[in-house]
Amino acid sequence: MLSVAQGFRKMLEFIVFFFFAAVAVVFALVVILHRNAVVGALSLVASLFALAVMYVLLDATFLAALQVIVYAGAIMVLFLFVIMLLNLQHIAESNTRPIQQFLGYFTSAAFAAAMIYYISKYAVLSALPPSRFNTTARMIGERLFEAYIFPFEMVSILLLAAIVGALLLSGRAAGHRAETGEELSQ
Amino acid sequence: MAFDTTDVILSLIKIVVVLLALLNVTPIMVWVERRGSALIQDRPGPNRVGPLGLFQSIADALKFILKEDIIPAGAHKWIYTLAPAFGLLPALTTIAVVPWGRPFLLEEREMFGRVLFAGGRWFEPVIANVNVGILIVFALASLGVYGIVAAGWASNNKFSMFGAIRASAQMISYELSLALSAISVLLAAGSLRLTDVVWQQTGYFRLFDAIPVPAWNVFSPGMWLAFVVFVVSAFAETNRLPFDFAEAEAELVAGYHTEYSSMKFALFFMAEYMAMATMAALIVTLFLGGWDIPYYDEPATFLGFLLSVVAFVVKVACILFVFVWVRWTIPRLKYDILMRLGWKVFLPLAFINILIVAVFIALRWL
Amino acid sequence: MIPIEWFLILSAILFAIGVCGVLTRKNGITIFMSIELMINAVNLTFVAYAKQFGQLHGQIFVFFIMAIAAAEAAVGLAIFISLFHHRQTIDVDEANLMHW
Repeated sequence: MLSVAQGFRKMLEFIVFFFFAAVAVVFALVVILHRNAVVGALSLVASLFALAVMYVLLDATFLAALQVIVYAGAIMVLFLFVIMLLNLQHIAESNTRPIQQFLGYFTSAAFAAAMIYYISKYAVLSALPPSRFNTTARMIGERLFEAYIFPFEMVSILLLAAIVGALLLSGRAAGHRAETGEELSQ
Repeated sequence: MAFDTTDVILSLIKIVVVLLALLNVTPIMVWVERRGSALIQDRPGPNRVGPLGLFQSIADALKFILKEDIIPAGAHKWIYTLAPAFGLLPALTTIAVVPWGRPFLLEEREMFGRVLFAGGRWFEPVIANVNVGILIVFALASLGVYGIVAAGWASNNKFSMFGAIRASAQMISYELSLALSAISVLLAAGSLRLTDVVWQQTGYFRLFDAIPVPAWNVFSPGMWLAFVVFVVSAFAETNRLPFDFAEAEAELVAGYHTEYSSMKFALFFMAEYMAMATMAALIVTLFLGGWDIPYYDEPATFLGFLLSVVAFVVKVACILFVFVWVRWTIPRLKYDILMRLGWKVFLPLAFINILIVAVFIALRWL
Repeated sequence: MIPIEWFLILSAILFAIGVCGVLTRKNGITIFMSIELMINAVNLTFVAYAKQFGQLHGQIFVFFIMAIAAAEAAVGLAIFISLFHHRQTIDVDEANLMHW
């Protein structure tokens, strides 16, 4: 009875993996192929959410929650805001040159193929004993405030600098436009 | 970790029970809201359909189903159709990490020709007892913005758009103070797991070394600021009056769901009430002792479990009534005042409270 | 247990999609979103290795990458707003002056 349940769990894990891997890839393709930036941003949210599920499968529940909070809850909302406020969905995007398109698709496809080939060819990692470890917020916190305290403080300074920089950039732009409003209208 | 068929079945039972309870919140709350507003405004309210108008919600639901489902010509069809589902998803899933009763021991017994619960098994009345519980709540709650934004944008209507932008700005701003005030509680509990938060609140502390007071967070002086900030942010987060700018009918027709009709509108409606119920459950869990019954030690049996569930439901119902009460008592604020309040008052207050709790913990008062 | 290579392959595919987006699109916001996708692909690799080696360092790195991605998104979008206010477009080909 126990082995049946274990098998069931294993099968469930695989189903979850393939479903969310498919979700991540399909929505990532929508991001780069769809002409409408709002649809792209919403698809990216779905893709990032699928990646959060991957983190859960990799026993990193804390990071999974963080991924959804930071990426889906903050960064992507910012993207959507900017797209909607600038009304970008109505602006037609000019096409890139065909040669650039071809090279872009070809290079990235070749890159993906090479990566997949080498990852599956040199599958040395599976030979390592699998480690079953579950990270708690406490473990990550202890590590952050002991070994990584200096980078942690630097990141907080970086975030402060980013806030000031973003305010300055967008605020000055608005002020500048108000000053040179006549110039632009001509 | 033990994991077998019994676990799967128990989990399924828990999911079904919680989902049924949550789905029933909407019709009950609609009735409470309409009768409650009538009570506050000194008028009868809906009293024709069934005793005390109790069946009014069923009539409303029937009306929603029978209405024509309209998709505006200028709308983005896909996103317009998916938006209500986006909105409903976080409302339905967040409750999964909230404990709703005292764990009890299932004794070994013979049933259906096989031995169930071999060696006894603890029944944890929470769907997913994960070690980052509160983070999951905030993660899923932050996804709620997308339903609103997608609806507002896809409707291709300026009132919807304004409602969506206002709602999302408001939700993002107040999420910060919500999370920061919850951190005070988590500091005291020393865990992100919501069951640990509740266990920490069982028992008593003695006022003046004499009067026993339940050890709920709301009774400890270090948490008062956090409690106020959390409750006010919860109002803003669920878009309730006095903070309902997303659908301020005097200014924006009906905000982000102006163009919606029929069941799609009903889904938004349900999502709103479910989010409210989840928020109430969260307030109860973090500050009001969860399922803890004051001055009574619940035994670890089925009876104790039932009593604790009743206590939890009663507390949630009280908080929900406060939501209704506030809605019909306090007028709507202005939008700029709301944002100023969020960033310049509640956010600093939440930070100050974290400091206070940290000092309390350092002095071993908590 | 899902083999670690599958996660690496998924990450490689996502990274390639991100590269493709950066190379073939002209809309600045879409390019920016492709970069976010690439960052996330790298994050997945970090977490997968962290799991395989049973060490926390990979996850700590992801923590820092997320914080920096948030800062980068704020500044980057501010630049796009500024660009849009000056040029009424966010086509990256139009942003060809070092100063305006």
